[in-house]
Order: sequence, then C-alpha cells, then structure tokens
Amino acid sequence: MSNVQYSGVRESIPGRINDLGTTGKEVAEKYKKGCLKRADRSFAQGLQCQQINSMAALMSLEDSVFISHSPQGCVGCAIMAVDMYRVGQIHRGIKVVKNPRLIVTNIDQKSVVFGGEQKLREAVQKAVERYSPKLAFIYASCASGIIGDDIDAIAQDLQADYPDTIMVPIHCEGFKSKVCASGFDAAFISINKYILKKEKVEKEKGLINLFAPTTVSYADQKEMERMINLLGAKVNYIPFYSSLEKIKRIPAAEASTSICKVFADEFMKTLWEDYEIPYSHTVMPIGIRNTDKWFRGIAKVIGKEEEVEKIIASEHKRIEPLVAELKERLKGKRVFICGGTGRSFAAAALIDDFGMELVGLETPTYDADAQVDIEYLNNIHKNFVVDIANMQPFEQVNLLNKLKPDAFIGVPEWAAKLGIPTTHVLDGKRPTMGYDGLLFLGNKIADQLENPGFNRKLAKHVKLPYKDSWYKENAFKYILGGED
Amino acid sequence: MSHIMENPKGGCVLAGINAVLGAINRVCPILHSGPGCCMQTTAADQGQSGHKHSCFVSGVSIPSSNMLEKEVVFGGVNKLRTTIQGSIDIMDADAFFVLTGCTAGIIGDDIESVTSKFREEGHEVYAIDTPGFAGDSNLGYEVIWNTFIDKVIEKDVPKDDKLVNIFGIVPYHDPFWSGTLEEIDRILSKLGLKVNTFFTKHQGIEDIKKSSGAALNIIVNPWLFNGPAKKFEEKFGVPSIRIPGLFVGATDTTKFIRAVQEALGLDEKLVEDVIEAEEDYVYSYLGQSIGVVSWKRFAVVADANSAVGYTRYLANDYSFTPVLVIVSEPIFRQEDKDRIEKEIRDLEYAKPPKVLFLTDQYEINQAIREEEKEITLLVGSSNEREIALEKEIQFILGAFPINERLIFNRTYAGYRGSLTFTEDIYDNN
Repeated sequence: MSNVQYSGVRESIPGRINDLGTTGKEVAEKYKKGCLKRADRSFAQGLQCQQINSMAALMSLEDSVFISHSPQGCVGCAIMAVDMYRVGQIHRGIKVVKNPRLIVTNIDQKSVVFGGEQKLREAVQKAVERYSPKLAFIYASCASGIIGDDIDAIAQDLQADYPDTIMVPIHCEGFKSKVCASGFDAAFISINKYILKKEKVEKEKGLINLFAPTTVSYADQKEMERMINLLGAKVNYIPFYSSLEKIKRIPAAEASTSICKVFADEFMKTLWEDYEIPYSHTVMPIGIRNTDKWFRGIAKVIGKEEEVEKIIASEHKRIEPLVAELKERLKGKRVFICGGTGRSFAAAALIDDFGMELVGLETPTYDADAQVDIEYLNNIHKNFVVDIANMQPFEQVNLLNKLKPDAFIGVPEWAAKLGIPTTHVLDGKRPTMGYDGLLFLGNKIADQLENPGFNRKLAKHVKLPYKDSWYKENAFKYILGGED
Repeated sequence: MSHIMENPKGGCVLAGINAVLGAINRVCPILHSGPGCCMQTTAADQGQSGHKHSCFVSGVSIPSSNMLEKEVVFGGVNKLRTTIQGSIDIMDADAFFVLTGCTAGIIGDDIESVTSKFREEGHEVYAIDTPGFAGDSNLGYEVIWNTFIDKVIEKDVPKDDKLVNIFGIVPYHDPFWSGTLEEIDRILSKLGLKVNTFFTKHQGIEDIKKSSGAALNIIVNPWLFNGPAKKFEEKFGVPSIRIPGLFVGATDTTKFIRAVQEALGLDEKLVEDVIEAEEDYVYSYLGQSIGVVSWKRFAVVADANSAVGYTRYLANDYSFTPVLVIVSEPIFRQEDKDRIEKEIRDLEYAKPPKVLFLTDQYEINQAIREEEKEITLLVGSSNEREIALEKEIQFILGAFPINERLIFNRTYAGYRGSLTFTEDIYDNN
C-alpha cells in the first residue's frame, strides 16, 4: 500500500485516462504495453462536475444539512438527488415527504471581491438554528476555490461554536477533475476525516457495509439486502437513505462491498488501511454473470464460498428459464452501449447473457479496472469500438450513424432521434439489479427493443443539432494526444 | 446582490440565459466554464420545468471548454477558441453565444476579443460576459435580451403595424411557458395581429433580428424586463405596455385584450366580437359544472407573475377566499414589490390576502405553518409539497419548479388555460 494519501482526484491514479477513441483489441494491447497517455479534446461538450456527485451521494442522509458554498447555479443538478430522495421516501412508505435541507450561500460579486467567509458563517448559523442537524456538509465550488475561501478553517472554527453538529467540509471544486466520480471520493475522504477519524469501534459479527449511490432503487436495495441476508450476514446500507448512526457503524463491519464500481471503491481501500476491513470490489450486479460475480466476491470475503454456490445454483434454477426465453428474443442483435463506468461494463456483460453482440462501448475512463472488463469482452466479441468519453453525444451519434446497431443501451435522447431502438440499465426508481431485478430488466429490454415504433417515427420528424458533414468525419478527430 | 437561500428556485444567470437560448430554434450556447456548468445550468431551469428540455442543445450536448486547473491558472482563451471552432464545424446552428462561467469570470478571460475574431470571419458568434455569480435566472432573462438588443437585433427594419413582441414569460423558468405563449398567440392572432413569441412555432434568430419592426412590445409580467424595454424603445422606437401579471380567466384576459386594443387602436367591433366569443367559450364550460368544485380558502406560493394570475382568478372569477400569497422569487426594488402587491390585493369582492415576499424555503414553510387562518388549497411548486403534506392541505403544482408532472403545452393562462386550472383544482376527497 502506498503511503501517499489519495487526493480524491481520479486522474491522479497512474494509468487512468479519459479521452481516447479506439477498439477493444487495440486498447487492451496498448494498455498492457503501457502506451496509453493522457489526452484531451480540443472540442468537447459539457461534462458532469464532481460537486454534483459529492452532493448527490449524501443528500438522502437523515438529520443533515447540505451547504453549498457557491453561487446559486451550482445547486441546479441537486434536483436529481432531490427527486431521488423524494421518490425514495414514497417507496419507503413515508407520508410527509421531505425536501433535503439544501442551503446555498449564494456567492455573488461582492463575495468574489471580498471573500465569502461571512456568507458561509451565516448559512451554517441558519442551518443549525433551523434544524439542529447532526451533520452539516459544506461543499466547495469553483468560485469558492478560486477566490480562496478556506472552508476547512471556517468549518473548524464553526465546529467550536456548534459542538452538537459535526461540520464536514468537502473539497469538490468542479475544476479539479474531469471525472465526476472524483466527487464520491471527496465526500468519503471527508467522512473519514471528520466523522470516523480512524477511531476503533467494537466489531459487529456478520455486518457488511453495502455502499450505494443515489441511482439505486428501493427495489434494488431490498434485493441486495435479500442476497446478503441469504449468506447469513446483515447489511449496513450506506450512505443512501442512511444516517449518522449508520455511518458511524462503518468501522464495525466485518467486510465491505459496493453496488457501483466507482462508488466507494477508493474508500473501501481506505477502510482496509485504516480499520482493516476487507472488501470485495468486483462489478455491478446487473445480469446473471455479473450478479454471480458480485455475489461470489462478497461471499469470499466473509468465508461463505460454499454457501454462495448453493444459493447461486438455486437462483439460477429460478432465473435461467426466463433468460433462455429472453435469449431467444434478443440473440444476435448488435448493440451499442453508453454509460457510466459501472453501468457500461455491466450492460456489456448483460448482453452476453442474452446472446447479443457488442459493436460499440462508450465509457468515461480507462484504467486497470476497465482493462479487466475489456479483456473479458474481447474474448466474447470480435470487434467493437471503444470511445473513452463522458457522454460527448457528438461522438456518440457519429459512431451510431456509422455502426447502425440494432439496439442502443444508455441515455436514449440522441440515439432515439436517429431512430435506433433504445433501452437502459439505469433506473433509480425500478428494479435492475440482482436476480429479482433481472426479471424486470430482461423483460423491459426485450419489449423495448422489439417495439421501436416511437423512435422510428420520431426520427422522421426530429433532427439532431449536427451538420450532415459531421457524420462523415472521424468521430475522434477532436481527441488530441494520447499516444507516444 | 444575492441572499443565502434554502432550496432556491432556479439557477444562476447562466441558467436563465441558457433557458432562453434553449427555447430559440437553432441557437447554440457555448459555455466557457468549469466542467459541470452545462448540466447545472440546464438542470436548474430546464430540468425542473415539467421534464421538457431544449430540442436543439441542452445539458451535456452544449459545447463547453470544461475549464480545469490548467485553464484556471494559465487562462482558458485557447481552449475557448478551439471549442468555438469545433462548434462552428459540427453544430448546425444559426448563431452561437459564448457564456462565461464563474471560473472564466473570476480569472478574467477576454472572451469578447475571441468572439469578435470569429465574427470578423463571418460567423455569428456573440459573447455574453456575465459570469454565473452575477445573479439569478431572472437576471439571465434580462441579460440575454440586452445582448440581443445590443448586438443582434437589426436597426432600420421596416415597421409592421400588425407585429407585436411578447416578453415577460421566461421559458423553462416558467414550466407553462409553451402553453402560455401559444394561448397569447392564439388570442392575439384572432385580433389580426402577428405575434413574436420567439420561443414557439420554431421561431429563430431571424425573428429576433427583425423584432425591431414590431409596433408594440407587450410585457406580460409585473416587474421583469424594465431595463431591456427602455433600451428597446430608445434604440428601435418600439413602445411597450406592461400587463402587470399573468392573466388567468375571462376577467383578466379580457382586460389584457383591451390594453392591447388601446395601445394599437384596434378595430372595436373585431375586439368585442373576439371577447364575446372567448368569454362564451369559458362560461359555457363553467356553467356545466356548478358547485362541483368545493369552496376553498387558498394560499399561493409562486413567482410574481403566476402569483398575481392565480390569486386574481381564484378570488375574482371563482369566488374562492384568498388567505396568503407568497411571492417566492427574489425581487429587489420596492416599486416592483408595491406593483405586485397592488395587483394581488386589489380584488373585486374578496378581502385582500396577506402578501409576503420570501425566497427561502424555510421561511416559506414557516409562514404557511404559522398562518392562523385555515388554508384548504395550496398552489405552489414541488418545493411546497412538503408543507402541504405536513398540514394536510390540498396541493396543486402550479409554479416553478415542477418535477412531478410532464408538461408540454399545458397552461393555466388565458381563457382556455383557466379551464385547465379549474379542472386541476377539482378534488374528490
């Protein structure tokens, strides 16, 4: 283990790149030889900033206040987490559905000139007076970072004034990273620093930390908990819909695992280093192959290898007839996939369950983890394009127009306008994961792909915003550098 | 000047600019900003407005320089230059507008000189040098119109005495904007007018350029667009009338028509015929369900425009009892507050409600929580659902932000919208 403390910026991990146009075969070879170099796009479309992820990860925590030390605009994307929080409460049977307590300091022209410290102090004061929260998360922004407001020092000072509220400053300045998942790391680094503080707690036998981001539906939570319970273990489900008490139980756990590949993956390493909690870091449990792999991963860490095989066998008995049926409907379809790091590779494995063929994959980063997945995919699929991109719809539509896949898995907005049948493996409100999730997901995918009328008709009426000439160009023409 | 706010409604100035640009056909914003501003500025308005986004570009489709540490330290104009060039090369847009994020604004990148170079080469690329921290979505609406007036709208356009421009309905910052503009367009078209809504009918940059040929600017809003209206008149000689609040229902919509008639000297017979037909349409329906909607004591939490419209309709036309009206967007000038308050309180028969100007969600919730008079209907945004649930008040989603329904062309405004509003108020409990 390295002694250098991880900064929370995903780009700082050696060998990780964000901008590349390639193929499965080529990228695997080049990665092996160490010839992938960092690149950039001279033209790009917008990204998601890490602050969004830092906020979304925590905004469903009970007894918490979320203070964004930023102009008003930086909480725009909070609506996604706010919506998940509200709907999540409805799913959990709560009648008076609450808003998260989100306060923006509203950095303005005056703060830019004179500093925003006073506004931050006032915001924290309001938060404490209004809600007496157990936790106050203080989020940095591009503006607070550049004007040099020292949120750590201010938080430390406020901690003395308000001893009953734990102040947790989070360094999620947008300009620090191109990879929005860095924001998850920034949040966990602060949770460790300000809440857990490397203190040892009494161990709870059979307790497993299950890290879940906002995009996991309640149905999926129940399925993940069901699976872990089958192993005879109990779940500490965090930080989604959890609380300070549950966060404080993290070090008591016997093992950790995560639902998403880029969520708490770095934190689980830290938990091993600081609290000696072993962990399983595998894949997202979507589809048979990945669910098995995820399940075996955590079972192994807690020494339940034999038990898990029995459970898997009985689950397969239940699931396999459906998968066989779906395979009949879906096999041979050529698929293009775009998604976040976890979902894109999970979808790629899923289509193999259904006998579909991968023709293109868009995923935000390439690193040692991705290499494992790509090597697996290279064994199944002859030839597929890989676009290392965070969305970049202009590249996506260019590739789709050339590859003409039978199906697209991902955010449907652009592929739909090209008339391509679309479906998705991301649904934070309905099931997608585990064995139970696959029943719903599989039917959804087959039904959607068999009935593409909406997209076909839409494409005749709605045009994407690109010039016709763009579709003839090399999709990767704006990616500069990246090779020796 | 901006205040600390809990659960703010809307975004920064870029969100407001983006909302307007997103509603104009074939216009492309380019963000010179940190990596998240495209999504943030889209999510802040378009993302909370009944799930309707710009059909052209929004969110992660917007070209962006995605400024990182390197650009923050060394400046980002080179990155901006290649981003603009790429946009021109691949985006099928008629005009491009470069917006500055906080990052670019604070480090002081000179975007004007970058964009003027492109203009010299014949490309329609305009700079809007107003960083995110300068203000909110409403300011963005005025900033983009000021930019159009300063840089885009043409002088010496031949006058068309039948052409009118509509202002004050902010796209996406008002979830019902499409339907409202379509209703205004429908009514004014019946009066023989040609209507620039700018955001419906696939209107584009050419309609904006030629808008100086209009006979009248009609501002449907009690306070927005003061500065741009003056500038518009000074530069292009187009006078303005202000309709001091959204018109919902027969009474205020007829008043709106008469205000336009007076300003343009429209044919009296035509105007009276239209009013008669439209009012007949509304009352033919209302007459078919008398006593069906139970009596309510209501509160409204909304932007000033909607707050005026809903309160006046429910009180004047539907004989409900107004209790509390909270104007929940930041209004800074006292004269604006006075005008809004007058419109809300100056009712025909009903006793005037209490009027508060609150933007902070905690303060809004407290005001409703502590209201002594009983409230049985609350018209508000998604943010007010919590307090409605807490107090067990019937709740109607009528104001920005709206997240729990899909809205295409629905509106509560005008003659026809008032019927939709009344339908939604129906409650079988």
